[in-house]
Amino acid sequence: MEINLFLKSLLKVVVSLTIFFVFTSQVQGSVYTQNCIACHKDIPVSIDKYFYRYLLKYSSEKKVKHAIKHYLQNPSQEKSVMADAFINRFGIKNKSKLNDEQLENAINEYWETFKIFGKLK
Amino acid sequence: MLVLKNSVIDLHHSEKKTLVGFFSLYITLCIVILIFISFVYYKFQKDLMLSQKRIDLQNYSNEFIIQLKQLHINFDKNRVYPRDSRFKTAIYDSDKQLIFSTLKSPSVQLDNIVYTSNKTIHFIKEPESYYLGARYVILEIEDNQTWLDDIEQEIMIFTSIGLVFMLFIGYWLLQLFIKPMRDAMHLLDRFIKDTTHELNTPISAIVANIEMIDTTNLDEKLARKIRRIDIGAKTVSNIYQDLTYLTLNHQIMSQNEHLDVGKILFQRVEYFSTLANVKHIEFKMNIQDDVILFIDIKKLSKLIDNLISNAIKYNKINGTIDIILKDKYISIHDSGKGIKKEQLALLYDRYSRFDKTVGGFGIGLNIVSMICKEYHLEIDISSEVNIGTKVEVKWK
Repeated sequence: MEINLFLKSLLKVVVSLTIFFVFTSQVQGSVYTQNCIACHKDIPVSIDKYFYRYLLKYSSEKKVKHAIKHYLQNPSQEKSVMADAFINRFGIKNKSKLNDEQLENAINEYWETFKIFGKLK
Repeated sequence: MLVLKNSVIDLHHSEKKTLVGFFSLYITLCIVILIFISFVYYKFQKDLMLSQKRIDLQNYSNEFIIQLKQLHINFDKNRVYPRDSRFKTAIYDSDKQLIFSTLKSPSVQLDNIVYTSNKTIHFIKEPESYYLGARYVILEIEDNQTWLDDIEQEIMIFTSIGLVFMLFIGYWLLQLFIKPMRDAMHLLDRFIKDTTHELNTPISAIVANIEMIDTTNLDEKLARKIRRIDIGAKTVSNIYQDLTYLTLNHQIMSQNEHLDVGKILFQRVEYFSTLANVKHIEFKMNIQDDVILFIDIKKLSKLIDNLISNAIKYNKINGTIDIILKDKYISIHDSGKGIKKEQLALLYDRYSRFDKTVGGFGIGLNIVSMICKEYHLEIDISSEVNIGTKVEVKWK
């Protein structure tokens, strides 16, 4: 009897935890939303402006993505695409704690959101 | 060839072939050179046209890049790609991926700067900053191709003039090449002409006097000697006639008349009988009466003489000569050593002889061929080695 009661309680805990994690992950959103938008929304320069800066300097999808990843992994003033005045005011961001896969997912979403392809009329 | 046609000298087949070969090679080479020059000229003119258009295109591209910059700055508000009635454009990123295009000709060469593409001119500009990611900006304007028409016309005119000039040079070169050949043949012809001229009187005297000798009253030994002299004189006379025909007669107008070919054949066989008797050659005559041909008597005799003379000359001892005359047909068939197939084609060439064991200059069949050509007679020679040679003359 006691064993049965214990198993039932364990099942309840597992189900509750699963529901909790699913719910929290839905609320928190993707890596991009959680880790990029979350900070950038507090800066007066919107996140798309950075994208156009990258585009202006690196042109193609491959090069833009590579440059962003390179910067995020090891940010420095030399690697930044932003103007000196901007850096002087807002500084350089901290090194990203995200792993390679997370970074790539975030960058891919960033590219898909702001890419030029298919948007011109 | 024109140059050879007017010449009195007939060039050999192989010589003609060499000259035709040289001329063809020369013309081909000239055409190749002219095509090459035309191509260089075309490229030069095209580059000139493109460099002229390039100034306009450069200005257009500057204007376009300013518009592109504006669009880049205001992309969150405006996404309408800049367009201009004077030109069409396209933008490519640094991986050569098309971002947007309004081009008419999709064939783009991003490694080039200015070029033509499907009746349009493309100009590639690489802006300092890649607005909207555009590393390559392509400008396109219509190419009305008037420059091409002008170049085509110029090339046609100058190539034609060049070709005519080259042809003249070629003609001159050809004359230069055949000069030694012609000189050599002229020398030979002149030598024969001079020699034959000097032979005329003594030969006529010998032949006339032998004919006057009555051999019936002479003893057998002397009569045989006289016959030998007769044969010798007739052979020399025949050669003399051939040579004079070649050097003089064929330039003289023919006196054509309706002749009984059978009668002439009998006369000529009779004439050659002494010669044939030496080799014990038997004539087998199958002559149809009243076969008439409109021809100069000297030329018909010459034709028959040469054919009979050859049939005797190249025949074997105790051989036969079959002579057939039918309506519009003569055939002379000997039982001699025959001619090899590969030599048959060269038969009519002057001075060509295949059997040097017998006398002659190799001009007989050349004369026959000339007479046949003049009277449109069709001559056909068939031969089998060791069986004999058959010469057929047909006319319409």
